[in-house]
Amino acid sequence: MSHHLFLLSPSDTPIYNLTHYSTKLPQPTSSSLSSNLPTWSTSAFAGTLTALSGASSATQSHHVQGGAVRMGGGQDRHVIQMIANASLDVIEDVMRKESAMYLKSVDKFNEWTVSAFVTPGNMKFILLHETKNDDGIRSFFHDVWELYLKTMLNPFHTAHSPIRSIVFDTRVRASAKKYL
Amino acid sequence: MNSHAFAALAHIPILVFPVGPIPRAAFEKYAAEIRTFDSIRLGDIPAGMKDERARFMPNPLSSGYLYLSYPSHPPPPRHMSLSLFRPSHFTLGIIGVAACSSSYSLASALEQFENTVLDIFPEGSTFPLAKVCLAFEDEESAGSTGLGDTLPGIVSIPSVMGNKKLYIGTLLADLCSHILAELGRVYHVLESPIGNEYLNSALFPTLPSPSEMPLSLSSGNLGYPSYSSQPELESSGLAMSGIQIKRSSTAGPGISHTASLIQRQTILGPPAVRKRISAVGAVSSHGRLYKVLGDFFLLAGRTEDASLWYAEAIVLFKTGQDPVWHGSVLEGMATVFVLDAWSAGQGLQSSVSNNGIKEPWADIYDQLSQAIALYHKAPAPSEPSQDHSLLALTYCTAVMRQTSLLFCTWSTKGWGALAFASMLQPASTSYTQKTTSDNSWTNLERISIVSGVSRSQIANTVSQAHGPWLLHLGPHERLNILQSMATIYSSLGYKRKEAFILREVISCIMDLIVCGREENDLSRKSDVGSANTGNRSENGDEVSAVGKGAVGVRQNEILEGNQSILKLLVRACKVLGVDLEAVGVATATDGNSSEAGGRDSNGFAVEDLEGLADAARESFGWPELQVGVIREAIAVAEALPDPLAVARISLSALRTMHSVLASSDQYHLYQTAGRALAAMRRRGDAPAVEYWAGNPIMSLALLPLALHRLPIENPFSILTAKSSATNSLLSGIIDPFLYNPRKSSGPQSKNLIVQDEPIELTITLRNPYVFDLEIQSISLSTTGVEFESSPVSALVIPPNTLYSITIIGTAKTRGTLVFRGCIVQAPWGAPREFLLPVPTDADQNLFARRQSAVRCESGRTKYWGLDSLPWEKDGRRLSTLLPSLKNPPQFLQCVVVPEQPLLRIRWTSLTHGAVMLYNGEESTIRLTLENISALPIDFIRLSFEDSTIGPAQEALSEGELSVFETYETEYDLLHRKAFSWRNEKEITNILPNQKVVLSVTCVGKVGCAHGTVHISYSQVNRDHEEQVPVPEVFYTRQLSYPVTVTVYHMLECHDMRLMPMIDVDYDDISRRASNSAIHHLPEVDNLKEWCLFAIDVRNTYGLPFEVTFEREQAGTESAAVSSTVPPGSMSRIMLPVKKFRLSDDQISQPIPTLSDRQFVVGKSKLSIEEEQAQRELFWYREELLKIVSARWKEVIYSSLIIFVADIHWFRRTGDRHGDLSLRQQRLTLPMLKALRTDVVQIDLTLIVDNPDGSPQELDYSGGKYIASPNEMLYLRVEVANSSCSPFLKNLSHSAR
Repeated sequence: MSHHLFLLSPSDTPIYNLTHYSTKLPQPTSSSLSSNLPTWSTSAFAGTLTALSGASSATQSHHVQGGAVRMGGGQDRHVIQMIANASLDVIEDVMRKESAMYLKSVDKFNEWTVSAFVTPGNMKFILLHETKNDDGIRSFFHDVWELYLKTMLNPFHTAHSPIRSIVFDTRVRASAKKYL
Repeated sequence: MNSHAFAALAHIPILVFPVGPIPRAAFEKYAAEIRTFDSIRLGDIPAGMKDERARFMPNPLSSGYLYLSYPSHPPPPRHMSLSLFRPSHFTLGIIGVAACSSSYSLASALEQFENTVLDIFPEGSTFPLAKVCLAFEDEESAGSTGLGDTLPGIVSIPSVMGNKKLYIGTLLADLCSHILAELGRVYHVLESPIGNEYLNSALFPTLPSPSEMPLSLSSGNLGYPSYSSQPELESSGLAMSGIQIKRSSTAGPGISHTASLIQRQTILGPPAVRKRISAVGAVSSHGRLYKVLGDFFLLAGRTEDASLWYAEAIVLFKTGQDPVWHGSVLEGMATVFVLDAWSAGQGLQSSVSNNGIKEPWADIYDQLSQAIALYHKAPAPSEPSQDHSLLALTYCTAVMRQTSLLFCTWSTKGWGALAFASMLQPASTSYTQKTTSDNSWTNLERISIVSGVSRSQIANTVSQAHGPWLLHLGPHERLNILQSMATIYSSLGYKRKEAFILREVISCIMDLIVCGREENDLSRKSDVGSANTGNRSENGDEVSAVGKGAVGVRQNEILEGNQSILKLLVRACKVLGVDLEAVGVATATDGNSSEAGGRDSNGFAVEDLEGLADAARESFGWPELQVGVIREAIAVAEALPDPLAVARISLSALRTMHSVLASSDQYHLYQTAGRALAAMRRRGDAPAVEYWAGNPIMSLALLPLALHRLPIENPFSILTAKSSATNSLLSGIIDPFLYNPRKSSGPQSKNLIVQDEPIELTITLRNPYVFDLEIQSISLSTTGVEFESSPVSALVIPPNTLYSITIIGTAKTRGTLVFRGCIVQAPWGAPREFLLPVPTDADQNLFARRQSAVRCESGRTKYWGLDSLPWEKDGRRLSTLLPSLKNPPQFLQCVVVPEQPLLRIRWTSLTHGAVMLYNGEESTIRLTLENISALPIDFIRLSFEDSTIGPAQEALSEGELSVFETYETEYDLLHRKAFSWRNEKEITNILPNQKVVLSVTCVGKVGCAHGTVHISYSQVNRDHEEQVPVPEVFYTRQLSYPVTVTVYHMLECHDMRLMPMIDVDYDDISRRASNSAIHHLPEVDNLKEWCLFAIDVRNTYGLPFEVTFEREQAGTESAAVSSTVPPGSMSRIMLPVKKFRLSDDQISQPIPTLSDRQFVVGKSKLSIEEEQAQRELFWYREELLKIVSARWKEVIYSSLIIFVADIHWFRRTGDRHGDLSLRQQRLTLPMLKALRTDVVQIDLTLIVDNPDGSPQELDYSGGKYIASPNEMLYLRVEVANSSCSPFLKNLSHSAR
């Protein structure tokens, strides 16, 4: 089971991202609808659709069937980024109406649930997760926020530049291990 | 959207298609008329049938409606299995539209209609239930088509008929009646025990074909009756006739089943049915049967019956294992609920008040949610078959139905009549578009608040449809679902989600295109009919039409389809912050491009300036996603194939995103664009892409002309005025102000270039990319006089560098030439002009302000999310912040002057341009000039400068010198110039190719290290330009010849003395001076009138020199004293000088200044007496220096040859001579006394009387008079007045 964290600047540019593989096993909640997918076309464009619709991960987890479906970390990663980006629509919508910083399970797409955390400076932390873990995610977000604030205290760091600090990375990972 | 209308379950779909040769426009017209009937009142349905077909007929006075929908195409054959599960999915009726004319008869129309029906619907399929062909008569051929013949199955409509619409309505009602009747027949088959078994045989069962019924009945084979397994050839004739009979309106009972016991009853109670079925003794549950019954009633517009039977079915399904059918029942119930609400609220126009706890639609929503959950959890069919696909379709349709419920409620601002209307007939209400057309957040949020449905709720609902199961769907359904999702997201204002879905839409279409191309012959056949009827709704429906068009017709290049796909791409990419259209398509032809350039030149310039500011701006978006989406866009464009789009996309990406692109990506994009452009070139297309690579021109500069070619502007007045070299030389730094504001604010120094002579311009280019940037050509863009330059072509700029090129050009006529900038053309792109304004101070100020404003903004986030897209933000924020450039830009400007002659120095008498001189020596430099132009030179003037002038001028301008020193310096500047041209009048004209020799005199002057000879020349008199008003200026060129001067300082004069002769001790003198002045003394007749001039001359050099002092004095013979001064030693030279006296007038004159300097203020605070004394000294010294002059001459001893290694030097020094300056010497007051003739001369003589009585002078020897004692002496006093005026004196004497 994996979690994907993205820190997005107000201009939608990711300044940090993290993929965390949790040791917990995901419960198989997939529908029979998504099983037994046909290999309906071999063109490259079919691969894009396969990936975007979430089919490649479905086939990956259930029965891997040859090279007919194009898959791989890169493609999946792209899809996850797309989902994270698309969820900004809902996040922006909700955050204008609600003052809460933590937006719990604000969006769902394919198999992913999206939770978000919006800082007062309009940074958006977006977490893609598969299972429900409300308290853990809340604590995780608060940890990341604190770490982010400490990074931003650096006068040489601007709001739009990517966070490359190793310390930040290590601590976020530790927090992810703890809570997710 | 049509297929996802909420109430689609209650719609009777009717397919309208053209028959025979009917013009498209005519068909569209008739079809539109038919389509206006979206519902038919139950009361209008003709009911006349008595058997089982009457079951679904409406009650005579019932008030409901039949709802019609007109899909553009029938469902694909794969969906046939759904025929019983979801009859509303199929085209229950068919209407053929034919245009009859004299050449096209009714019979042939009917035949074609039947054939087409057979093409579309394979035999054996349940549907369509009824069909009719409408033959519209042409206006021209009215009456001639034989409308009198009545053929079964075709209805002709004469053109003379007045109210066609009414008639069509009647015909439709008739058709519906047939459909309802056939529904009754179908149900009749199903309710039989065998039918029920069939119904329960599979997940999605089909109706057994009539011909098969008895067979299967007898054999008990309850297998899955697939139409494809049917032996077509054998049964075709029979089936056809059977079907035809069954469907035709005039046919009698064609099926052998007896009439059902169950008559058409209004109150058809479930108990009766149950009883009947139990009597038949079927084993399967009747849940599905009831559900079908409910569906049919729903279609028939009888909602009470439908809900009754649905309720029955639910009861049976509660326990059963049939989730799919269960879900379907729930969907049906939801539809019934809405239909009831619609019929209840129609016409009232009042919203149902939602004052309850739950929203009114919550129940329906829950029902649908339940249905969706049931579909979702449905067990997978065991064998991989069509069922997967159909199940997924059912699921997605259910989700879309649920979404539609919310969306319709939302978009119509609440649960009310409008919502019902849009749910029932989405096409008929354009209200949705109207409300959501304003896509601003406030408007959308307002709708949400009014309607009570939040946008995120809708989005979450619709996102359920998205999942891996989309792959199960057929291409058309998938497109349909995705497109509907995209439309909803778009209406909700969720642009990123829309972009996500649009990417899938594009992939779908592209997949179809790619695959369709491989098998285009096969797939084209199935597309008949849809090509003509492809209708487009307003938003996004183009997708499906595009898909079909691209699959079906690939031979003729319909660009519309490709353009639509690209439009989708651009839309999707824009959301991600990639502007695929950053590089424009060049539309202008050569003719008007220049006009366009001239018109909005200011705009360009501003844009260029802004482009510079862009660097400071932060980027927007998710770089990884952007790169991915660009790659995909290129793949799409390549697959279309559209090379122009490929080039545009890759170049746009390079232009806008090169800062985030990895180098390999940049390289790849560049290669791709190059390939695409090459492909276009092969196909012979015109270059179509604008110049893309940012602003490549960093600067444009005119290389200064070589000094000898540079023309210098002079006013004509200097020709007429007498040359006043004095002024220019002495004035030096004349500007009395440290800071002169008028100097800098004057007109910018003009760049002068010469007509017909090549000039060079450097252009600095920039390549910000990681690859070699290729530029096809660069040429200069000029205005003003004609300028001829060859463009630089095939240029390759290395990566990440600045690169300079030089362009050589020639101005053809005189006038003003303006360099606006450069026209750059990338390979196979359109040329683009880049302006290079020369910024004025104000501009630079403005630019700096803009930059700082942008930089100040960069860290802040006033706008976020999609509002912060670069092109959105700038329009709003920066435009208000940034000052705009008001003034028209200034460009690099040149003045082209007429052709000028050109002179060169062909030969000089100097080797290496160096001259070595002794101090005071004079030498001649000969310069041979050659006129190498075709123009004569009639004006030549020389000027000189040397290294002594500067310091002297500086000292003068500082004004710290005393009057005397000032005079000396000025004298030095004027009369002892290092260089001079003695014979100025010697050369006036140099004809073309003529050579002349100039002689320049060079005088050795201590402190002079180098000098320059400037030769200014011009052609002043030009005959051929007489008509032109005499210009005020003319231009000269200057040829400079630098000379290195070495001056040896060898003789120094010291210690000038002037002594009265009388006191001289001649013995002493003869001892000190080797060549004394003694032998000159004889001429000194009267010692009192003479004085002795003495000076020490020291030789500091290594060679002996002979020094000659000459005296040129009026009233005396000239005399000279020579002395050889050996190296290192000093000689004293003595020369008698006759005393003189200057008149008072002369000495009272002030010390003159040689220049016309105005601000000479006497700095000295001398008293009048002192000043008088100074003037006297000055004038006497001047006079003395006129009288005495000194020269030196080199003395050659034979022994010296040993020392002097330089033979050359030695040879030339044979007669080296020069002047020795005495101007260093000062005259002091005692010297003045010695020099000046006394006013009164008194001569005392002692006289003694001779014995003879005559007076005799006393003996005088050794300076003493020797007088004998006691002798009477006479003192003779002779007084001489040497002044010009008489005067009186007292004489008194005393003796001691």
